[in-house]
Amino acid sequence: MSVIAAVPDSPEGTAALQAGVAEARRLDTDLLVVSLSLRPLDLSALPDDVKIHVVERKGRDDRDPVDAVLDEIGLHGAERLVIGVKRRSPVGKALLGSVSQQLLLDSPVPVLAVKTGQG
Amino acid sequence: MSQSLAKSKHPALPPDQPGAHSRRLGVVAVIATFGGLLFGYDTGVINGALEPMKADLGLTAFTEGFVVSILIFGAAVGALVGGRLSDIYGRRHNILMLAVLFIVGTLACVFSPTWEVLAFSRFLLGLAVGGASATVPVYLAEVSPFEKRGSLVTRNEVMIVSGQFAAFVVNAIIFNAWGQNDVVWRYMLAVAVLPAIVLLVGMLFMPESPRWLSSQERDTEALGVLKQVRSPERAEAEMAEVHALAEEEKEAQTGGWSDLSVPWIRRLVLIGIGLGVFQQFTGINSIMYYGSQLLTDAGFSAEAAILGNTLYGLASVLGITIAIFVMNKINRRAMLLGGFALTTLFHLLVGLSAYLLPESDLKPYVILTFTVLFVFFMQGTIGPLVWLLLAEIFPLKIRSFAMGLCVFCLWIANASVAFGFPPMVEAVGIGATFFIFAGLGALALAFIYKYVPETRGQTLEEFEDNFSRKYA
Repeated sequence: MSVIAAVPDSPEGTAALQAGVAEARRLDTDLLVVSLSLRPLDLSALPDDVKIHVVERKGRDDRDPVDAVLDEIGLHGAERLVIGVKRRSPVGKALLGSVSQQLLLDSPVPVLAVKTGQG
Repeated sequence: MSQSLAKSKHPALPPDQPGAHSRRLGVVAVIATFGGLLFGYDTGVINGALEPMKADLGLTAFTEGFVVSILIFGAAVGALVGGRLSDIYGRRHNILMLAVLFIVGTLACVFSPTWEVLAFSRFLLGLAVGGASATVPVYLAEVSPFEKRGSLVTRNEVMIVSGQFAAFVVNAIIFNAWGQNDVVWRYMLAVAVLPAIVLLVGMLFMPESPRWLSSQERDTEALGVLKQVRSPERAEAEMAEVHALAEEEKEAQTGGWSDLSVPWIRRLVLIGIGLGVFQQFTGINSIMYYGSQLLTDAGFSAEAAILGNTLYGLASVLGITIAIFVMNKINRRAMLLGGFALTTLFHLLVGLSAYLLPESDLKPYVILTFTVLFVFFMQGTIGPLVWLLLAEIFPLKIRSFAMGLCVFCLWIANASVAFGFPPMVEAVGIGATFFIFAGLGALALAFIYKYVPETRGQTLEEFEDNFSRKYA
């Protein structure tokens, strides 16, 4: 049973990635990174004691990042979801939605939510 | 108006030797480009038909703008919907339906009893125009071997302006022959049904796109089509490329609204929208739709105006032809800035001529000259360059969504200018209207200088890397 980290192209994504590695180490399992970014992820700074797989979004079915992450949870039977969160303005949320908020509410497994700058 | 050309790594393919299949490929290309021709013809035919139509149907400046622009609003919808439909049901199926819609829409326009019915019919035609703009370049790119891909898609762009030119010429002939007839405008619109019939009949014999077939898991059929339009060895080898390109296309559909939360992506999309909107705010299409009337306002007689109007079509064709040769030899930013500087200059000159020149026999010719030069430089720089940039700046994964959004905004800007032009000219006159265009051109120059990135000489990966780092 692995840990899944939802990693968007933002500081919250970096926070989720690092927290995901720590959580996977704590639970003695591997980390599956669902990259929500449109450019390749840089994993060079991460420690290599935890096994990390990266899955990228591909195709119209993965257009909705929430669906993409939830699909991976279902596919791989993960035990924990790690997400990065930040305060969003009401306008920002209305226009662009909040992926983290939806994942928090819809995840079938327990969610670890970290803010930037937290371990 | 071209879609992006998929930039793929080509496995070494055997060269495409000429043979029976080359002729077939040639026929396919000709028939498909009738889609572009219809696009041009249907958008250009209103120019020249408007004056008699106005008299016959009792149009005001407002309803005139409405009747003209509603086709473009239809095209905005058609481009969005058409792209999706061609992904679901296939390119050939889509083009066939578009041909039928062109025929039905044209006949509905020709026999409209009131301007309301005409407006609705033009909306239907607009759906077909938009759908064609989204589907035909894709079909051409997918059916052509990569060596010919660029030139065939370019040929489509030339067909579009040629369609407009043809509409201007045919309208001039019809008007000078039967202009005294109240319903001459119906004859003018009716001519457009001929290329639509050619497209319909022609497409019945055309193959489906091999790449689309492959994406539908119909590989045997895909190979069958390839064997029709390539040499046998090349057909087999190309299947691998077809798969790769189909995969790439799938990837291009990944990104959506949620990705706009990423600052550098949002910036790119806003730049794309800005490019399209400023392209339309040059007012190029006001001239392509209202040219004849612009010239009568300037002082020409109706017959002379419709003849002079054909020069706009000619200037477009010449401009685009030269742009094709020049485009990859000059930096994009330089060409855009130069283009806008020239168009703004000519806008100013038209405005000044309209205000300062005394009414004389010479004045209409001065205005004609400046507007023709405006059209030439516009179609020689900004026109095709904006489409090229839109195809180049977006990362693969968001390309489908981003281009769809930018093209939609571009059509809406096109339609808005078309809608507002007649009331504006009626309210403040040609001079002031062109001063407004000049002002918009100045804004465009500032926008391009500050925001538009250079793409020439970089691979997409290099550009994406640099840009995303800079604006993360």
